[in-house]
Amino acid sequence: MGSMTEPAAVKTRRTPRPLDVDLGGAELRAICETMVLSRALDERMWLLNRQGRAHFTISCQGHEAAQVGTAAALRRGEDITLPYYRDLGVVLWMGMTPREVMLSFFARADDPNSGGRQMPNHWGHAGLRIISGSSPVGTQIPHAAGVALAAKIRHEPTVTAVYFGEGTTSEGDFHEGLNFAAIHRLPVIFVCENNGYAISVPRHKQMATATVAERAAAYGMPGIAVDGTDVLAVYRVMRRAVDRARSGQGPTLIDTRVHRFTPHSSDDDDRVYRPPEEVESARQQDPVEKFRRTLVQHDLLTTAQDHELRERVAAIVEDAVVFAEQSPLPAAADLTRHVFAESGRR
Amino acid sequence: MAANQEKPPRRANHAARQPAKTPPAGGGGGVPPSRAGPAQERRARGLGHPGPGGFGPPGRLAFTPEHREELQRLWGEMVLIRRFEERVAEMYTRARIGGYTHLNIGEEATVVGALTTLRPDDYIFSNYRDHGHALVRGIAPRAIMAELFGKETGVVHGRGGSMHIFDRERRFMGGYAIVGGPLALACGAGTAIRYRDEDLVVMCIFGEGSTNIGYFHESLNLAKLWRLPIVFLCVNNQYAMGAPVQADSSVPEIWRKPCAHDMPGERVDGMDLLAVCEAVTRAVRLAREQHEPSLVEALTYRYRGHSMADPARYRPQEEVNVWLARDPIVTFRQQLEQAGLMRPEEADAIERNAQALVDEAAQFAEASPAPEPTDLDRWVYA
Ligand SMILES: Cc1ncc(C[n+]2csc(CCOP(=O)(O)OP(=O)(O)O)c2C)c(N)n1
Ligand SMILES: Cc1ncc(C[n+]2csc(CCOP(=O)(O)OP(=O)(O)O)c2C)c(N)n1
Ligand SMILES: [Mg+2]
Ligand SMILES: [Mg+2]
Repeated sequence: MGSMTEPAAVKTRRTPRPLDVDLGGAELRAICETMVLSRALDERMWLLNRQGRAHFTISCQGHEAAQVGTAAALRRGEDITLPYYRDLGVVLWMGMTPREVMLSFFARADDPNSGGRQMPNHWGHAGLRIISGSSPVGTQIPHAAGVALAAKIRHEPTVTAVYFGEGTTSEGDFHEGLNFAAIHRLPVIFVCENNGYAISVPRHKQMATATVAERAAAYGMPGIAVDGTDVLAVYRVMRRAVDRARSGQGPTLIDTRVHRFTPHSSDDDDRVYRPPEEVESARQQDPVEKFRRTLVQHDLLTTAQDHELRERVAAIVEDAVVFAEQSPLPAAADLTRHVFAESGRR
Repeated sequence: MAANQEKPPRRANHAARQPAKTPPAGGGGGVPPSRAGPAQERRARGLGHPGPGGFGPPGRLAFTPEHREELQRLWGEMVLIRRFEERVAEMYTRARIGGYTHLNIGEEATVVGALTTLRPDDYIFSNYRDHGHALVRGIAPRAIMAELFGKETGVVHGRGGSMHIFDRERRFMGGYAIVGGPLALACGAGTAIRYRDEDLVVMCIFGEGSTNIGYFHESLNLAKLWRLPIVFLCVNNQYAMGAPVQADSSVPEIWRKPCAHDMPGERVDGMDLLAVCEAVTRAVRLAREQHEPSLVEALTYRYRGHSMADPARYRPQEEVNVWLARDPIVTFRQQLEQAGLMRPEEADAIERNAQALVDEAAQFAEASPAPEPTDLDRWVYA
């Protein structure tokens, strides 16, 4: 990040339209900070990977508004999330600490995600009600329907949010999960982070409809497309979906249009399948920068606060890396722990 | 059926779904250019049914004298299925047939109306409810019955039984026990057709319960993306075993579901043979001439339980009665007789013929030898 310059809009300011959200300044700044932090942690992961200090990473860059905007409409510690590998922004908002993120990234013993067993970015945290996912894409979708069914049976007010990419919506798991959730009017929200690529395969080569939102009609549930680079637009849509779910009106499919700023993962070279200009122009819509600008325009983020925020984030990232890298690796004797079910443990 | 296949249907409420221009008759060889056009134009719609005699334009199958022979033949196919299935039920209770057995009784108009639109070189993928499909495809009743009996003279030498009838020559690519599985296989056949640049069509037959399986979604998606010439025929008999359609499908109107793939879908009265025939003819043309897959939902009813093991206690008798009153064999006969296209003695002759075929099939199956134990592993491995 580093190079965030003062946006031009500040100099030629007009009275901006009111923000039309039920969030106060402190909450808006917290959302902004989580987005900035997501980006900063992610950028650091790439550096560490390229330095040979970590073997793999897969990015949230470009998706931050969709992630934090949706998570911000959930209740921390009560609602359940089933994120996919890009959802650093979701798990940070739901309470995972940067240290925990880096413990998982370096596969350390104290990693709460899986004790270093899972690949990096396979989020899971029992205490925060973040449900661990598998590497095959889409498996979390029917799981989410099951989790939401449990909440319904137990008469808990819990809402479940499950995340996936647009490529994943062509999987059978998507179909079965949405069908089941719609039949039983389950309190679950299906959030698609629609970045137009499934690794190298562009959207039009893997689905026939123009949007993912359209697919909702096949399940008789609302499907809402939203600009995923606009965190408040995302929040408003998610907010309505959460209210619907919590009041027993059933599931919603949200199609957030985002850009993937990086190659698919640290093992991918996207220059072979998309022109660099495409990413360059997408970066004009950088969700983090856009939101920071909005807050500045609305006098919700002063220059001093902005400066302070970035300093804080830089320190947090630094601390997390140092902490995690110095943490012990899992002991060889513990090889089979967290792999098979253990009696007496939950 | 040739006449039926050459003339495009013309009905006001079909207009939005019609190809802009009728392709030249018989010209199926060249690969037409990609069919553009606004999505709404192809969007799934439900169709009302105009009732008997509503299929106006001359040259199409209708209750008119020039179709007399064809209509009688189609009625005869339905009668054959009914008599065959009744005999299967009897033989099952007499322990001549083992395993699972699923009957087409009640669905005859859908089965005959749909399959009669195909050419002999087109492909069919069926499911476990496949006896009627095999009969209409021209597989000998005796070869099917012997298969059900598990005899060496069965169409697959008694190895498959009721759920796995298969005949490569007739491009009857099998019954399958796994719900939804054949949809993916149909995509394979469709890909082969496109790869070889043939003007063939794949018909894939499945129940409404199968549309909730992931395979349904994945298959329709690929079929649409790769423009595979497939007719997805959903036989909506309103139950998947004991589950009524609204219990397992978030959208009980199955014809709506292909909208997730921008694929056309329509519902047709599955108790009305001509209505099914017309809708499927259109779907077949779309597939053959424009490589456009589509879904036809035929709304019908099974009069018996899911399988021979199911007494069907989960549905009220009043509901069954409503559908019994619409028995396709009875109503089609009435329509033919009212139009003066079938005399009672002709109907009796057709009945007798069907009965004789079924009697012969049962005797043949009974008298046939079981497979030799020494042949146990033949046709099991490649
Ligand atoms: C079942 C399965 N098939 C293939 C893969 C390999 N794979 C990993 S990520 C991915 C792309 C998924 O694309 P999308 O759902 O659009 O998510 P994105 O990565 O673009 O956010 C694929 C194909 C997999 N992990 N699981
Ligand atoms: C994958 C799979 N799941 C479950 C079954 C058990 N099963 C056999 S038939 C059937 C019902 C299918 O209903 P539908 O698709 O409506 O067809 P119908 O039997 O009504 O013709 C089920 C659940 C199966 N054979 N395969
Ligand atoms: Mg994607
Ligand atoms: Mg059924």
